Amino acid sequence: MIRLDNVSKTYRNGVVALSDLSLDIAKGEFVFIVGASGSGKSTFIKLVIKDEDPDNGEIWVAGKHLARLKTWRVPALRRELGCVFQDFKLLDNKTVGENVAFALEVIGRPRQAIARTVPEVLELVGLAHKQAAYPHQLSGGEQQRVSIARAFVNRPRILLCDEPTGNLDPTTSVGIMKLLDRINRTGTTVVMATHDQHIVDSMRRRVVELEDGQMVRDQHRGVYGYGS
Amino acid sequence: MGARFRYLLGEVGVGLRRNLLMTVATIVTVTVSLALLGAGLLVQQQVNLARDLFYAEVEVSIWLEDEISEAQRVSLENELRDNPEVADVLFESKEEAYESAQELFEGQDEVLASIEPDFLPASFRVSLHDPERFLVVASQYEGYPGVSDISDQREVLDRFFTIMDAFRNGAVAVAVLQLVAAAALISNTIRITAFARREQIGIMKLVGATNWYIRLPFVLEGVIAGVIGALLAGGLLFVGMRTLIDRLREQIIFIPFVGTEQLIATLPILVLVGGGLAALASVVSLRRFLSV
Repeated sequence: MIRLDNVSKTYRNGVVALSDLSLDIAKGEFVFIVGASGSGKSTFIKLVIKDEDPDNGEIWVAGKHLARLKTWRVPALRRELGCVFQDFKLLDNKTVGENVAFALEVIGRPRQAIARTVPEVLELVGLAHKQAAYPHQLSGGEQQRVSIARAFVNRPRILLCDEPTGNLDPTTSVGIMKLLDRINRTGTTVVMATHDQHIVDSMRRRVVELEDGQMVRDQHRGVYGYGS
Repeated sequence: MGARFRYLLGEVGVGLRRNLLMTVATIVTVTVSLALLGAGLLVQQQVNLARDLFYAEVEVSIWLEDEISEAQRVSLENELRDNPEVADVLFESKEEAYESAQELFEGQDEVLASIEPDFLPASFRVSLHDPERFLVVASQYEGYPGVSDISDQREVLDRFFTIMDAFRNGAVAVAVLQLVAAAALISNTIRITAFARREQIGIMKLVGATNWYIRLPFVLEGVIAGVIGALLAGGLLFVGMRTLIDRLREQIIFIPFVGTEQLIATLPILVLVGGGLAALASVVSLRRFLSV
């Protein structure tokens, strides 16, 4: 589903974000990308959504060879991906329902389909009763659920999460992880960048560890660090 | 499509209202620049109208020396008639020149007294298919045996047209400068709006909205300002024409003047320039926000 062959990325300011990374993520997998800040986790996600291009190496996402993907085809790629971020990225002037619907409106889905799908996905994330609320009226965990609902409403094949629990307390984080696990069980590939040790240890899923842009570990049913 | 259209209208409306002052400034600048451009185009058409009228009447005069032999005169006349540039040739003898001068200056006895029958030279009055080709034709007969001088009424007219051309060039030059300012204003307005909505744009990109879907409200916002400016410019020109041309028309009756017809023909150009420029400025200024 996601494959990187010898991918390197150096930013213009000289920071080496990734160097010679090769990685293969199969359909339906749940993968943690772990590592300290600046280890290349976010760059990995930016490369997968083609927000950035690699300097070297090849990337395939959902069957598409990104280097050969024309600029005008990038939106089609992104419609197969859902993205969740640490800061939720919700629009404050829209309600929960409108935020989720927005993702469908801007890709031209018909209104009837949107009216049907939005309550369904809000039900899935457990926020059916908050459809008319505004983001600032919700807790952090609830906002992240809305963000996940928006990422998932288009039924993407891959869900990419960049520190989704970074702003949340441990109890709330567990709830978010349960939700991501449920989404993973529907067959969606989930890739989650995190440095939350407890979550990684408790989930026991595949762990890819990055250090200074290089992969130092790829372990199935892994934990955050060898020592813990 | 319905939902999409509603979205578009909503976004454009919000954009125009949010920057009301900037929008007004933009429209005023566009209006002034397009009014100048339109004025330039109308002056151009005015010059063409007058030029066509005058040049159609213009004749080339080939003045003959008194000593020209009959054989030289006939051979020159035949050559003129065979020349493909020449439409018509009329010979005016010294006597005929004297008679027509009598007619021309009838009642002005002083002038008439100074013209003696022998004073005016004989000449060929030559009309050309294309009056612009005067110099070419003139050079063919300069220095011809028996030809003393070749003159063209255009020389006088050209002075008038040079002034009109200069006026037109000035108007167009100022218009271009104004248009650059208008483009900068449009670009700035769009950039402010886009910056205010950068979060929304980011999310749209993230969930896979096409660049054109994101761009369209902004571009439309610019184009609407551009087209409104063009229409206002058309209104200004109409008022200007009414006050200036109508007065001129009363005083100078022998020149045809541009009218509403030419203004209506010019309007689409103004709309196209205004709208096109605004669209271009919008697309260019959005590039930074849309870079994938």
